[in-house]
Amino acid sequence: MTGPAGPGSPAVPGGPAVPGGPAVPGGPAVPGGPGGPGGPAPTGPGRDGPEDLDPGLARERTSLAWTRTALSFAAVGAFVLKKDVAAGLVIMAAAPVIWRLGRLVHHRPGQLKLVAATIVAVALVALVVAATSG
Amino acid sequence: MTDAQTQGPAGEGTEPDPRFTFANERTFLAWSRTALALVVAGLGVVQLLPPFPGVPWGRHVLGVPLIVFGAVVAVAAYGDWVRNQRALRLGRPLPRSVMPWLLAAVITVIAVIAAVVVLVSALR
Repeated sequence: MTGPAGPGSPAVPGGPAVPGGPAVPGGPAVPGGPGGPGGPAPTGPGRDGPEDLDPGLARERTSLAWTRTALSFAAVGAFVLKKDVAAGLVIMAAAPVIWRLGRLVHHRPGQLKLVAATIVAVALVALVVAATSG
Repeated sequence: MTDAQTQGPAGEGTEPDPRFTFANERTFLAWSRTALALVVAGLGVVQLLPPFPGVPWGRHVLGVPLIVFGAVVAVAAYGDWVRNQRALRLGRPLPRSVMPWLLAAVITVIAVIAAVVVLVSALR
């Protein structure tokens, strides 16, 4: 195989980063590799500081963004909980699911589509709650 | 299809620098939180504000569009993410997003409607 590593295949020194594969020596960290959003940080010679492990700390910032989004779902759920207990609990239950989605590494488009669909569902619940409240 | 070509949102092009992919993902998540904030704002207007004297429909006129727009923002954010990711994979310039303009326009319109509702309520 002459090209870069595919999902799950070994790293290619100096080659581009590939989701699902381990971190590329000398290259940026990759989602799904040992240093992916949910995985442990890669270790080895020449990987000392955070910038070596995660250039620009992009992975860490993305992980934190997923956490903030999950917290937002929890906050919305808590708000809805005051008017509609069942709907509020369902929305709050979505928070850990969203947080977990950020830790997964495969099917990223599907994950993001699921987040968008969940927000649309939350908006529909909010519309029902708004319509039924005086 | 070569090894460098992997399936993405568009199933074409090559895998971009992961930092750009992460940045695109964070932008989507930021818009998602904006969408949730709009939903909560709309719900808050309907549930928490006291009724406007003489304008019984005032809270719903303000709150319901915010909730609907929150759903629109969530869907549009996903569309933006797909377009940006495709541009990154193909090495093309990033497409311009209408969402900042749309958000500003909707907030402005809602603010104007709020001012009108308050004025009408005060005059009655």
